[in-house]
Amino acid sequence: MEFAQKISSVTKEIFASMIFLDLTSGEPISQGQEDLGCHVSAMIGLSGDINAILGIHCPAVVGKAIGGAMLGMELEEVDEDTKDALGEIANMLAGGLKETFAAEKIDILLAIPTTISGNSYKVSAPTGSNRIIIPFDIEAGRFYIDLKYSLS
Amino acid sequence: MNHAEQIAEATREIFSSMIMLEVTPKQAIERTDSTFTNSISGMVGLAGSVKGNLSIHMPESVATAVTTAFLGMEVESIDEDVCDAIGELANMLAGAVKTAIDPSGSEIKLSMPSTVYGEEYRLDCQKCGVNVLVPFDLDGAEFSVELLLSDS
Repeated sequence: MEFAQKISSVTKEIFASMIFLDLTSGEPISQGQEDLGCHVSAMIGLSGDINAILGIHCPAVVGKAIGGAMLGMELEEVDEDTKDALGEIANMLAGGLKETFAAEKIDILLAIPTTISGNSYKVSAPTGSNRIIIPFDIEAGRFYIDLKYSLS
Repeated sequence: MNHAEQIAEATREIFSSMIMLEVTPKQAIERTDSTFTNSISGMVGLAGSVKGNLSIHMPESVATAVTTAFLGMEVESIDEDVCDAIGELANMLAGAVKTAIDPSGSEIKLSMPSTVYGEEYRLDCQKCGVNVLVPFDLDGAEFSVELLLSDS
């Protein structure tokens, strides 16, 4: 289903139209579990024809840069505004994927975004599920969009 | 039944029938401090007519004891088996709470479970109108089950 390509194009579209940051995408990685060295993440559940979790994972400096660009303000730390912005981005990314899949008559329902922050955490999906992680680079550094899915 | 009672009933039932452990619900609270240390959280998204997130939060020692009882295997620290067990537990709890909220079974769909774990992390929900957290006692140790629902 060309998940990687869809994620990449939806991410680029949202960053160009809503966040106004230039970004380049790297080679997708598929691994069961990975410590991405991130300090702030937002995740949202997807259900319906595709059962999945979509996440955006950022080191603190990148999370602040993305949140700051989206909100048009300087963010000093990973605060409520940063988490708000990333939660909203996860929601928009999931909405973008939903729209892309709807064109192929694949129906996706969205849950609500949850944010994770901290100095030391890992995120894992059930053994046996598929996972695609796409790295993206902006000036401030690298962040990751992560889709864990199973096809029902 | 209100949400706290639905969570209490679903959790007690699943622990007693699937894991053969007795748990005792305590007074439900609205979560204020969302920081977890040396813990694991299993989360499942709810999508459809009701949007939200059901999660279970356990300190590492409780999570390993529950995994041992659930899977019948010795585990000492949070590994892939513990992640799978806690994710599956979140999935079963979400299924039971979903049935309580939506008896027709057609309005709400569950996403794939995911787990977050680490030495220190915070979980936040920016757009949740409903936030019910029920602590449980398990042989003198505590864990909690939480339901977040969007207000829109």
